[in-house]
Amino acid sequence: MTDAVRVESLYRTYDAGTPVTALDGVSAAFAAGTFTAVMGPSGSGKSTLLQCAAGLDRPSAGRVFLGGVELTATGDTAMTKFRRERAGFVFQDYNLLSALTVEQNVVLPLRLAGRRPDRGRVRAVLGTLGLTERAGELPERLSGGQRQRVAVARALVGEPAVIFADEPTGALDLRSAREVLALLRTAVRDFGRTVIMVTHDPMAAAYADTVLFLADGRLAGQLSAPTPEAVAAHLTELVAA
Amino acid sequence: MIAIALRTLRHRPGGFAATFLSAFLGASLLMAFASLLDTAAGADEASAESLGTTASVAGGWCLVIVVFAVTSTLSLAVRQRGEQFAVLRRAGATGPQLRRMIVGEAVAVAVLAAAVAVPVGLASGRVLLGLLKDTGQVAEGVGYAFGPVALAAGFGVTLVGAVIAGFATSRRTSRMGVKRERPRARRIAAGLFLGAAAGCAVLTATVMDGKGIDAMQTAGQAGIWGSIGLALLAPELLRLTGSGGQLASAVMPVTLFSGIATGTVYMQGIEDDAAAGQIRPDYARDIQTLNYVVVGMITVFVAIMLVNTLIAATVHRRREFAQLRLAGATRGQVTTMVAGEALRVTVTGILAGSAASLFTILPFGSARTGEIWPSATIAPYAVIAAIAVLLTATATLGTTRRSIRGPALLRA
Ligand SMILES: Nc1ncnc2c1ncn2[C@@H]1O[C@H](COP(=O)(O)OP(=O)(O)OP(=O)(O)O)[C@@H](O)[C@H]1O
Ligand SMILES: [Mg+2]
Repeated sequence: MTDAVRVESLYRTYDAGTPVTALDGVSAAFAAGTFTAVMGPSGSGKSTLLQCAAGLDRPSAGRVFLGGVELTATGDTAMTKFRRERAGFVFQDYNLLSALTVEQNVVLPLRLAGRRPDRGRVRAVLGTLGLTERAGELPERLSGGQRQRVAVARALVGEPAVIFADEPTGALDLRSAREVLALLRTAVRDFGRTVIMVTHDPMAAAYADTVLFLADGRLAGQLSAPTPEAVAAHLTELVAA
Repeated sequence: MIAIALRTLRHRPGGFAATFLSAFLGASLLMAFASLLDTAAGADEASAESLGTTASVAGGWCLVIVVFAVTSTLSLAVRQRGEQFAVLRRAGATGPQLRRMIVGEAVAVAVLAAAVAVPVGLASGRVLLGLLKDTGQVAEGVGYAFGPVALAAGFGVTLVGAVIAGFATSRRTSRMGVKRERPRARRIAAGLFLGAAAGCAVLTATVMDGKGIDAMQTAGQAGIWGSIGLALLAPELLRLTGSGGQLASAVMPVTLFSGIATGTVYMQGIEDDAAAGQIRPDYARDIQTLNYVVVGMITVFVAIMLVNTLIAATVHRRREFAQLRLAGATRGQVTTMVAGEALRVTVTGILAGSAASLFTILPFGSARTGEIWPSATIAPYAVIAAIAVLLTATATLGTTRRSIRGPALLRA
């Protein structure tokens, strides 16, 4: 079976004045139908890894495979088209379009891909995330947590094979956070999707099958069948090291 | 796709007001001048020739200015929404899709502007014809016509300008990831314009020496090319005065305005002095009128561009102002800071414009009167500088005051 996502010796440096190495040789494979959490200290390169793996950013060196196709070998337009067919992305800073309503934001990737949104599906996703009442509102009228749920709905609505989620519960209260996590787990268990999620919360990481740890742009350990306690312990070690 | 574009356009129509206004004014003027060619089709030979000259000379300048104004206002409107386009990009829009959106918006604005410009162009063309008849250039009996040439010029130039501007802007926006500023291309363009200016200036002082009023053609061009060249160097000029490149977009219109206005007004002044007591060719009065029309026209366009740029720059910094206020700055402190920046913009722009105007004034003086430095008073220059200061001050302080009104907290 091919991996849903595979990255090979990824490097990503930013040259803003002093060069920063955000990814320093990361290789990892994410099998189809698995739920992986990515954890690590702030600035360890988690968002960068997710963005490179999803074809949102180009690594400085290394290769990225999405569904067996090498993204790093294609041009911008082809990469975008492939990404929007295959992947959904929940951004750490939401990335909603201020001119569009909640519902329009949710179906935007589908519309851009020339796909007709399934109304029933859209309503169901909005309902599950508690956004039914807000469907016609503009993002600026929403609270931070509501915006985050819109971002989650947008990643889920197209039923992509891979869902990348960058701290999808960062702005949520305990109950909404659990609902979002349960939703992601259902997508994996019942629908065979692949989820890769960045989080700082050991509770959230415990929903995953595997936890990958990142420190200073490098892999720093892995946990299978994680419990919140085991995750917290590993994180404490990382920070102490 | 276009539907999304139009929705974002409706959401923030303010950003496109300046593009619309400059496209509208530009199309009106172009139609007015081009209708003289429609009129010429039904006129006697002498009248037709005079109409043709007026239309092509003044209309040609009009074209340069319109394209410049539409391009700069449009690219500003697009750049202002850079964040929105980045979001679209991340939501899965491809480069070509974004390009279609941006060009689509530009075309929508241009078509609307050109359509609204038809009655205004028609009326202004009639006034122009009246002017030419009054000075005896065109026979009384010639009837006014507004036809295919006027419409084609008005719609054609505005549309083509918008499409080109849209493509150029979207190329910059639709690239994935990092924003690329290309100072090299800008500097090369500036060099070419300054080269053209120097060429025209030398031509004026040598070949056109003794040709009288005809030297105005090349002398006028020298100043306009010089102004555009120096305007393109705005970031470098600002660095010379020790401020950041952030204000560069505001220096451009000030430079264009003070350069072209000063050059043209003093050139006409030199001409008037030189011709005093001489018998002037019939068309000298036409040219005089046209020169002032051109200066007026440029003033209006530049005022739009300047106010637009400054408003955009200030609105763009609303967040910065809000953070300053949250950090404890009073409104007075923010206003003082902005006023200082506005002053630097104005001074830099006026100085650059004055330098550019010399491309016109010095060679024309040498060709027309044999004196390089004009004997005219400083009064017109003072008026031009005052207009530049007034425009900058009003636009900057007005917008700043509006964006920092109320309590410090501002929701993003
Ligand atoms: N656009 C950028 N330009 C320059 N440096 C960047 C950029 N984006 C990220 N970095 C740097 O790359 C490193 C990794 O950033 P990244 O956003 O991947 O961290 P992260 O693990 O997601 O952190 P957090 O948990 O705070 O979100 C950091 O040192 C950051 O400063
Ligand atoms: Mg991050």
